[in-house]
Amino acid sequence: MSVAALMFPLLFLFVLAGIPIALSLTIVSAGAGLLAFGPNVFGQLYGSFYSAATNFILAAIPMFVLMGAVLERSGIAERLFKVMQIWLGRLPGGLAVATIAMGAVFAAAAGVVGAVEVMIGMMAIPAMQRFRYSNSLISGTICAGGSLGTMIPPSVIAVMYASLAQMSVGELLAGMMLPGLVMVLLFIAYLMVHGTLWPPERTELQDEIEDISLAEKLRLTITSLVPIVALIFAVLGSLLAGVASPTEAASVGAVGALLLCVAYGRFSVTMLRESLQITVRISAMILLIVAAGTMFMGTFAANGGSRLIRSSVEAVGMGDAGIIIFFLLIVFLLGFVLDWTANVLICVPLFTPIIRQTGIDPVWFGTMVIIVIQTSYLTPPMASSIFYLKSIAPPDMTYGQMCRGVVPFIILQILTLALVAFYPPLSTWLPDQIVGF
Amino acid sequence: MTGIFTAVDTFSRILSRVAEAVALILVASMIYEVAARYVFSAPTIWAFDISYMCTGTLFVLGAAYALREDAHVRIDFLAQKLPVRFRQVMEGTVFVALLAPIYGGLSWFAVKRAWRAFTTAEVEMVSPWAPLMWPFYGLLALGLIAFTLQIFVHGLRIFAGNQKADFELKA
Amino acid sequence: QEVTWQVPTSVPEGSPFYINFLERFADNVDVLTQGRVEIEPFGAGVLVPALQVYDGVKDGIIQAGHSTPSYRVNQDPINAIFAGFPGGMGPEAYITWIYEEGGKEALYDLRAKEGFKSLVVGIGSSEIMAHSNVPVKTAADLKGLKYRTSGPWAEVMREYFGAVPTVVPPGEIYTLLQRKGVDLIEWGPPSGNLPEGFHEAAKYIIVPGVHQPTFLWEVVLKQETWDAVADDLKPLIETAAELTTMQGLLHFYAEDVKALETYSKGKNEIITLDAAFIDELSAAGKDWISKKSEAEKEAGKPEMAALLADYNTFMDRWSAESSYLIRNQN
Ligand code: NA
Ligand code: NA
Repeated sequence: MSVAALMFPLLFLFVLAGIPIALSLTIVSAGAGLLAFGPNVFGQLYGSFYSAATNFILAAIPMFVLMGAVLERSGIAERLFKVMQIWLGRLPGGLAVATIAMGAVFAAAAGVVGAVEVMIGMMAIPAMQRFRYSNSLISGTICAGGSLGTMIPPSVIAVMYASLAQMSVGELLAGMMLPGLVMVLLFIAYLMVHGTLWPPERTELQDEIEDISLAEKLRLTITSLVPIVALIFAVLGSLLAGVASPTEAASVGAVGALLLCVAYGRFSVTMLRESLQITVRISAMILLIVAAGTMFMGTFAANGGSRLIRSSVEAVGMGDAGIIIFFLLIVFLLGFVLDWTANVLICVPLFTPIIRQTGIDPVWFGTMVIIVIQTSYLTPPMASSIFYLKSIAPPDMTYGQMCRGVVPFIILQILTLALVAFYPPLSTWLPDQIVGF
Repeated sequence: MTGIFTAVDTFSRILSRVAEAVALILVASMIYEVAARYVFSAPTIWAFDISYMCTGTLFVLGAAYALREDAHVRIDFLAQKLPVRFRQVMEGTVFVALLAPIYGGLSWFAVKRAWRAFTTAEVEMVSPWAPLMWPFYGLLALGLIAFTLQIFVHGLRIFAGNQKADFELKA
Repeated sequence: QEVTWQVPTSVPEGSPFYINFLERFADNVDVLTQGRVEIEPFGAGVLVPALQVYDGVKDGIIQAGHSTPSYRVNQDPINAIFAGFPGGMGPEAYITWIYEEGGKEALYDLRAKEGFKSLVVGIGSSEIMAHSNVPVKTAADLKGLKYRTSGPWAEVMREYFGAVPTVVPPGEIYTLLQRKGVDLIEWGPPSGNLPEGFHEAAKYIIVPGVHQPTFLWEVVLKQETWDAVADDLKPLIETAAELTTMQGLLHFYAEDVKALETYSKGKNEIITLDAAFIDELSAAGKDWISKKSEAEKEAGKPEMAALLADYNTFMDRWSAESSYLIRNQN
C-alpha cells in the first residue's frame, strides 16, 4: 500500500488513542512529509501552516464566535430563547425548530462551517437544556443547523468549488438553493415529529412562562426579539445589499452584538474579556485543525494521493452511476479528516475532467458533492461538527450523545441526496430560471 | 521543575491575552473597512492585510494556552477504557518524543523565516499597502515556540502523573 | 526517469493557467525528453503557499516552481516590466521582445542574481479591463468608482483617474460584484474570466485590457538543480518551455475568441473603449512606470530604468513599423 493510503489508518490510530485531532494530523503529516521532503519537511509543513494562517476567509470564524460569546455572556441569548419558548412552547420541538431556523438564517450570512455552529451552540445549548431537551437532540440540532452554512448561499465552499471546476458560480449557488431548502424543511419536520412523540418533560420554567400576562409577554418579545431580529437583518442585509462581503458580514455581527449589549446595559469589561477569552480559545482550536488539515493535504498529495485516487477510478472502470457513487464516496471519506478547503482542493480538480467527459450535468454533480461534504462533517467518528460542538459543550454532554444525536440528521441529508440524485431538476431547474442580472 | 512549568504556563497565558487584543483589532479593522467602503467610498489599502494577519496571529498565539486549558478537541471515549498508567505513558511519549520535536522543527523554521523577512525587508506580495512582513512572521514564530514549550511541559506533566486527577475524573 | 520534479504553481489545479501552461509544459517535456524527465504539476497551496513558490524553491522544499513575476513587483519593481504593465506591449510585440530582442536574457540575468535558473513557461493574451455594473466610456466615468484591482493598475487608477481601487480576496469577488459592493473588477483574460462567472454578475464588459496587455509566467529552479541535469537534456527542456509558451499563447487566443462569443451572445454589453481614451490610459501607465524606474535610479538601482529604456525602444519600433501587419480586427 502506498504512503498516501497508509496515512488514514495511522491518523485514526492517533485520534482514537485520545491525542487531540489537530496534533494527530500534525504527527501523521510530519511522518509522511519526512518521506516526501526529507530534511526539508519542516519548511513544507510551515508553508501549509502559513497558508492557513493567511487565509482571509477564516477570519469569519473568530468574529462569529465572538458574536455568539457576547450574546451568551451578556444574557441576551437567554432572554431570546425565553421569548421563543413563550411563543413556540406549544409547538412540538419548538426551541429545536427555532435553533435550526436560526442556523439556516446565519448560514445564509456565513460561508464557513464551525463559525455558525459555535455561535448558535453557545446560545442554544444552555437554553435548550433548561427546557429539558435531551442532550442528543440538542447536539444533533446544533451540528445540523450549523453545517447548513455549506448548503445555503452564499457559501464560500460553493464559490471555491465552482471556480475549481471551471463552472458558473451563480449556477451552482442557485442549484443548491432548492436542495438546501428541502433539507431545512426535512430537519424541521423531523424535529416536530420528534417533539410530538417524545416531548421534553415539563419544567417549572414552563409554568412560569405560562403565568406571564399577555402584556408582559408582548413587552418581553418587543424588547428581546426585535433587537435580535435587527441584528440578523444587519448581518444578512449588509451582505445582500453588497455593503459587506460574506467574511465582512461576520464583523457586522460581532459589532452589532456588542452594541446590543451596550443598549441593554449588559456591557461590562468582564463580559468583554470573558467573551474574548472564549473567542481565542475556540478559534485557536478550530484554526489549528484547519492548519494541520492543510499539512495533511500537502503531504498526502506529495506522496501521490491524487494519483492514487485517479488510478483507482481508472482501474475500476465503471459507468456514469458508478463513477458518481465512487466520487461521492471519496469526498465522504476525505471529509472525515480534511476540512472542506482541503477536500475541495484535492477532489474537484480530479473529478472535473472525468465528469466533463461523461457528460454528467456539473451543477447536479456539484450539488451532490456539496451535500456529501456537509454530511461528512456530521458523520462520526471523525466529524468536524462534533469536534466544534465538543469545544463548547457542557461536561454532562458526552461524545456518545453527540454521535447518537447527529444520526437522524445524517439520514435526512442522505435522503436529500437521494432526492437530488433521483430527481435532478431539484438542482438543475432553478439555475436556468434565475442566473443573470 | 515546577518553576519552569509555571513560567511556560505564564508565557502562554500572556500570549493568549495578546491574542484577545488581536481579536478586537480584527473586528475593528474589518468593520472600519465596511464603513469606509460603503459610507465614505474610500476603502483602505490595509484592512485586508490586517484582517488576515490578525486571524493568523490570534490562533497561533492562542494555541499554547488552549493546550494548557485542554481545549484542543480530542476523541477520548476509547482511550478512557485503557488503564490510566498505560495511557499516561503513551500520551506522554507522543507529546515529548513526537510532538515536541515536530513543533520544535516548525518553530525553528518559523524563526529562520522571520529572520529572513527582517534582513531582506520582505514586503507583502500582492497588497497595494505592501507592509513589511517580519512582524507577522515574528508573531507566528513566537506562537509556535510557546506552543512547543507547552507541548513539552504537557508531556512531562502527564508522565509525572500530575494530570492524573484529570484522567480519572473523565474516565 | 532520470529526473522527477514536483512542480507547484500559484493558481489552482484545473484553472486555464494551470492546464495551458504547467500541464502543457509537463506533456511537452515528457515528449521531447522521451520520458527521461518527469514534471509532476501541483495546484496552488498544496505543496507550498500559493504566492510563495519562489521561496519554496529557494528553501529547497520543491525542486522547481511555476509562478509569475507579478508577485515579485512589491519586493522589486523591475519585475513589473516582465509581469506586463498598464500601457505596455501587447502579446504580439511582447513575445517578440522576449524571444528575439533580449527580453528573455534580461529576465534570466535578473533571476540568476537571485540564484535561480528561469525558463519562460507561458505568455498570455490581454486581459479584460473590467466586468462592470456601470458603463465606463471616458476618464470622467472612472472617477469615484470602486474598482477591484491590484498592482500598478491600482496606483494608476487612484493617482491619475480618481477611481477607488479596492482589495477583495479571490473567493469573494463574485459575490461582491454581484451585490454591487464594488462597481467593477478586473481578473484575467476572457477565457480565464469565463469560468469565474463574472459575466453573470455584472452587465458591462470593458475592453481592451490596457491595464494588463499581456502577462508572463516562468518556471524557476535553483541554479545547482539545473546544473545537475544531464547536458543533453537541458536543451530539450528549454525547447519544451519555448514550445509551451508558443502553444499556450495560441491556445489562449482561441479560447478567448470563444469566451467573447459567449459574452456577446448573452445579456452582456461589451464596451470597446475609443482610441483616445485608450491612449489616455496607456499614457498614464507609461508615466507611472517611468516615474517608478526613476525613483529606483535615484535610490541607487539603475537596472530598472535601463531595462525600461530597452523595452520602450522596442515598443516604439514595433509601433512605428507594424502597420504592415494584417490583424483582421473590426
Ligand atoms: Na452560506
Ligand atoms: Na488581472
